[in-house]
Amino acid sequence: MSLQNGSEILIESLLRQNTKVLFGVPGGVLLPFYDALYKGDLRHLLVRHEQAAAFAADGYARVTGQPGVCVGTSGPGATNLITGLASAFMDSIPVVALTGQVAAEVIGKDAFQEGDTIGISMPATKFSFAARSAAEIPGVIRQAFQIAVSGRPGPVLVDLPKSVLIERAQVDYDAEPPCSQPERRREWRDSDVERAAEMILNSHRAVLYVGGGVIASDAAAELRELAELTGIPVTTTLMGLGAFPSRHLLSLGMLGMHGSYATNQSTCHADLLVAIGARFDDRVTGRVKDFASGAKKIQIDVDPSEVNKNVRVDLPLVGDARETLRALIRVLRDQIGRGRGASPEGRREWLDQIEAWRAEHPLAYDREAACVKPQYLIEAISEQADEDAIISVDVGQHQMWTAQFYRFSQPRSWLSSSGLGSMGYGFPAAMGAQVAFPERQVIAIVGDGGFQMTLPDLATVSENGIPVKIVVVNNGSLGMVRQWQHMFFDNHYCDVRLGRVPDFQRLAEAYGIQGAKVERREDLKDTLANFLASREPRLLDVRVDPEENVFPIVPPGASLAEMLVGPPVPAGEK
Amino acid sequence: MEWLVALEADNNPIVLGRLLNAFRRKGVEIRTLTLGTRTSELSLMALVESAEENVEHILQFIRVMVGVREVACYRHEPSGKASYIFLETDDHSKVAKILVDFPLSKLVFASQGRYLVEVGEKSGKAGGRALISDANFLPFARVRTDSASAQVATRSEA
Repeated sequence: MSLQNGSEILIESLLRQNTKVLFGVPGGVLLPFYDALYKGDLRHLLVRHEQAAAFAADGYARVTGQPGVCVGTSGPGATNLITGLASAFMDSIPVVALTGQVAAEVIGKDAFQEGDTIGISMPATKFSFAARSAAEIPGVIRQAFQIAVSGRPGPVLVDLPKSVLIERAQVDYDAEPPCSQPERRREWRDSDVERAAEMILNSHRAVLYVGGGVIASDAAAELRELAELTGIPVTTTLMGLGAFPSRHLLSLGMLGMHGSYATNQSTCHADLLVAIGARFDDRVTGRVKDFASGAKKIQIDVDPSEVNKNVRVDLPLVGDARETLRALIRVLRDQIGRGRGASPEGRREWLDQIEAWRAEHPLAYDREAACVKPQYLIEAISEQADEDAIISVDVGQHQMWTAQFYRFSQPRSWLSSSGLGSMGYGFPAAMGAQVAFPERQVIAIVGDGGFQMTLPDLATVSENGIPVKIVVVNNGSLGMVRQWQHMFFDNHYCDVRLGRVPDFQRLAEAYGIQGAKVERREDLKDTLANFLASREPRLLDVRVDPEENVFPIVPPGASLAEMLVGPPVPAGEK
Repeated sequence: MEWLVALEADNNPIVLGRLLNAFRRKGVEIRTLTLGTRTSELSLMALVESAEENVEHILQFIRVMVGVREVACYRHEPSGKASYIFLETDDHSKVAKILVDFPLSKLVFASQGRYLVEVGEKSGKAGGRALISDANFLPFARVRTDSASAQVATRSEA
């Protein structure tokens, strides 16, 4: 046992949890911690705003499956982390946030840069710890990591008073359990799984409805096995993209508000819906009482509070997605081996019907347009990106076009603030992913609105040679808000035009990053090829059609069946 | 719908703060709330109101919160089939009378003038059942009890 101060104990504890990097910004009460970092072996990436630290930690966690760690000082440093933590909480991403706090003896006395970080973080985290002594730091850190990755993952905050960071203590690290591993929970009985298999075998028009829980539990292989074993098509939520290969014959793509016609029709006409790690959120269901109203529903979810929260289900299986799917596959294999149930061929009629819907209204845009259509841009990126490229998006129209038109091939390659829908996410999350995998291609596809919320971190990627590729889908406006004002508020465009948008190419160059610009469709593919080939950070500003809207769209309050597949046709042209 | 929630949790102000915040966020109106603490554990009993269709979700939401050890939920049961009685009184003789009228009864919770007594659905002396209809008593039926340890947890081999 050795005598160390709290900061040294903290670093040792983080290393024992296999922490490779911290994303953060230093500050007054964290000076003892940064002094220990100066002497220690743990990498720290200085970002330019704590919100970027939280988003970078989120991106790191999504691509690795390991907790991302972010750091902020007391008061404003901690409050700046909150948006990122709230986003991670909504999307069930394991993040550990370390916040400095004023010395224990002045907590509650409104000291300089004091904030009630625990109080503020409560609704944005899975749990918050307040460290009370240096000696308890190893246990607190181990618990924080354990909670972050177990059950339904999520962010955990550890608040560390300055007095704790400088206090000296003797710690026997070997007395602590080793690195935290996730617990895979289940509450179902074998008979529940047998009943689920029976429902699947008796169905004719089944759909697997897949969310981020499949990715969180690393169940993509089991999902594919289940789909191919039963011939049931797979639709994913925004969070579930990548859980099932987009090019697979059984892939239906994304469902919901901006899902394709065929996908939403499949959901509407299904006789069985198997929800796996998905939470029936409003962007998926549309008018909830009409969602898959003719279907029996099975829900597999590790979080029992998700069962019957929004939609009542016929059979809940509360448990880890991977463990549950494995059990289900075992039973199905046994049953099918005895000649039971619908084989993939037995579902041919259903799959043909889906193909017919797909042919009736494919995802479409004007492929002959002279300008750069944003969908064309996304297709071009999809064609040219590496097979294992990581795609990180902001929030808005470009996010939906990417979800619709990018062809995903593997899990943990799609980063999106899906639940909270936080603009300013895409670029810093890409930065975190690139730090995790320096050799992989990481592409941040961002709007000109959201990107302007994160510009200072161009310095971070430039200074550290983080080779993120930034594609700005530049339409000069807050496009999704503009679209809603156009469609649902009688064209009352209020503060959605961004007006003086900076020249992003020159802005990037000011940070030492080579930029490029595309304004003509014919220039796109070659410029994109050069851009993606670089091993340096790069920015590509693409001027897209400013009037383009995202279709299909399910209007607010409507059911999936009432989706609009394209812009209304003027009366004279019908 | 009026229901009772009784839970045991870590005696930690952060756990308690998160619990009360969860009540607020989930639209649970607190009618009465009683807290008791021991060295490492706190117990909370609250008479609350929320939409009936949300009760199961709220119960499960609370159950999986970090630091919560066990939760029980009791639904208001005015039909006379109640197996629990909640009463709020400073008159201890009323509690004593219940315990006499229902010989197999058990005091589940008692703190600060609030009591939850398990009387059993079919037990009770003649007239004891009628007592349940007394306006001073709120009859309940336990819907379910859940504890975190009821789950099967396995370590990931990953």
